[in-house]
Amino acid sequence: MIELVERIASIQPIKSKLKLAIHDDDELKKINEMAFSILEEVGVHCPSQKALRIFADAKANVDFDKKLVKIPSYLMVEHLKNAPRRYTLAGRRPELDVKIGSDDGTYCACGGEASYVIDFRTGVKRRAVKEDLANIARVADYFPIVSVVWQIVSAGDMGITAPIHGMEALFNNTEKHVQTESVIGERSAKYTIEMASVIAGGRDKLRERPIFTGMICTIAPLAHDESGIEAALAFAEAGLPVGFMSMPTMGLTAPPYQASAIAVGLAEVLSGCVLTQIAYPGTPNYVVIPTAVINPRTGDYFYASSFSQIANAAVVQLAHYNGLPALAGSSCGGNAYKLNSWQVGLENIYVNLLAVMAGADMCSGLSGLMEVVTVLDMRRFVFDIEIFQAIDIIVRGVEVNDNTLALDMIREVGPRGMFLGQKRTAKELPKLWPPSILFEKPEVLGEKYRNAEEVAHEAIDWVLKNHHPAPLDERVKQELRKIVTAADNDESLKRKLKGE
Amino acid sequence: MDNRELFVEMQQSIVNYDEAEAIRLAKMTLEKGIDPALAINEGFAKGIQIVGNMFGKDEIYLPELVMSADAMTAATDILGEAIKKSGGKAKYLAKGIAGTVKGDIHVIGINLVATFLVANGFDIEFLGVDIPSSVFVEKARELKADIILLSALLTTTMPSQKEVIDDLKEAGIRENVKVIVGGAPVSQDWADKIGADGYGQNASAAVDVAKKLLGI
Repeated sequence: MIELVERIASIQPIKSKLKLAIHDDDELKKINEMAFSILEEVGVHCPSQKALRIFADAKANVDFDKKLVKIPSYLMVEHLKNAPRRYTLAGRRPELDVKIGSDDGTYCACGGEASYVIDFRTGVKRRAVKEDLANIARVADYFPIVSVVWQIVSAGDMGITAPIHGMEALFNNTEKHVQTESVIGERSAKYTIEMASVIAGGRDKLRERPIFTGMICTIAPLAHDESGIEAALAFAEAGLPVGFMSMPTMGLTAPPYQASAIAVGLAEVLSGCVLTQIAYPGTPNYVVIPTAVINPRTGDYFYASSFSQIANAAVVQLAHYNGLPALAGSSCGGNAYKLNSWQVGLENIYVNLLAVMAGADMCSGLSGLMEVVTVLDMRRFVFDIEIFQAIDIIVRGVEVNDNTLALDMIREVGPRGMFLGQKRTAKELPKLWPPSILFEKPEVLGEKYRNAEEVAHEAIDWVLKNHHPAPLDERVKQELRKIVTAADNDESLKRKLKGE
Repeated sequence: MDNRELFVEMQQSIVNYDEAEAIRLAKMTLEKGIDPALAINEGFAKGIQIVGNMFGKDEIYLPELVMSADAMTAATDILGEAIKKSGGKAKYLAKGIAGTVKGDIHVIGINLVATFLVANGFDIEFLGVDIPSSVFVEKARELKADIILLSALLTTTMPSQKEVIDDLKEAGIRENVKVIVGGAPVSQDWADKIGADGYGQNASAAVDVAKKLLGI
């Protein structure tokens, strides 16, 4: 069983001694030049008048009728220079700050955003509600391996303003830095900025210590969403970090080659970064490009293929090549719901191991999500932690020094001896056998065998009963409630969100 | 060349997913005064049946299916107008309309569904994305559609699927048409809840559901 003790939230990045370089300099240059050429020659669709005007004022080639932007390479270089490689994603306490670009290693984030959950009590699959998000946020707050908490599930009972309710649920249930990928549209963004400002103690303080990040998804191939790009601009204006995610599918929304899919994805995310840099120079950006493969039989989206996994990790190098931080890894979770399936174990370990070894600044594989990020099973969250524990051990490599070579022990024990009864063995062996949900077995004959699911269930149950993140000040809570209620009553916002 | 040979060439153009050839043969059909409905039924449609069978047997994958359906659509676009004028009728398994509901601009999933259905012998009019409920209703009435396929990729646009079903009822044509819903956040539960006739988890499943609902 894993260790369960009452404690306040803390974070623990994974520092990798192993370094994985997927591309050599020539390959990096070629893919990057390709991305720049795509932006210069083919362009990117950008259906926001506001964004088009910003691009046009910066001397990009803008066709307002076609809503198409072509960005000369020199503009890309000029503006990407302003994007910081190092910045802080603030937690509610400085001890929870995520120092992007530091030597601390890879910070683990959750994934999202699922519409369904496996009900923790009944085991029945049902639509996710706000309370589910509150619960999983508390679980994420408890485990130190999680540094950044996402909207893992939707607040599906809250209607069209669900993303804003989701932010309220997160702010109330974790002290850690929060990332959202579903708050889109300028008005929604402004409601969430207002909430964060109340928590931070004002707009200026939020700018100094941004407690949440807006992540915006592009549309492959080569398009932005109006609501997404306008939310990005609102977040950047408030001084918040803005990440861009492209999800090219090889053979469907990208050419059937990894290199080309990466280049197309890179063109999308870089065009988003450049827009925020033109409008608000110095905006903290990061990029993420999970490539996928189309199932050639059914058309299903499949992003845990080995072809995708290595491509995801390759993006880290390309991001760094452009002076940008990268988020990589994911909680793939298989295409079919089977908690202990071979597929899930294989997918989640490799995609995240490769991402950490490639030097990702953040890794978004801790989520407990299944069925291609559509279903949350909280028990799986504990399994994901188990995977990251394994990754943490692997990437430390093999420590070599006089102590670990242990000649003195070998001398003492000698040929045909045993190392078990040694004091140093007693001290070190528990480190080689970390707490796990996988190695539970009956203590006595006749006792029931407990599998990993049962142990994980017990762990989650314990966390939900015993972990209570430091609450927000009552006044702040009430302010958040008021802001969410105002969003719920904002007919103009709701019409916009409905696409009317 | 007699018509029989020409029909074989038409089949082959689809099996070889040769759009340019399919267009050439469709035009030749009109130039030679051959019945366009016969050209579809005896030529192109037989080709798409072969392609559907090959896909079913894992002999080809989706890209070939899409290319064949594109060739088929190119040919039938040319012949369709002439059929209308001649009063003839091409044989299809069923007639349907497909689109993504209001407020949602996701195109790829529903496009694949439409392609799968075309490749399986359905006559599908693809309406596109962000389609208001009223357009689905009007088109269903106008085309006497047997089936409507509604896609929603966002939890926030799923209610628009229900709106279409409600509007079909209000227009008095709900009983004439089967409604299949799909999209990443959509489930069988949702389909049941909003009174849809079926749910397709993916493009391939949508074809099976459509055939089952129509008793084909």
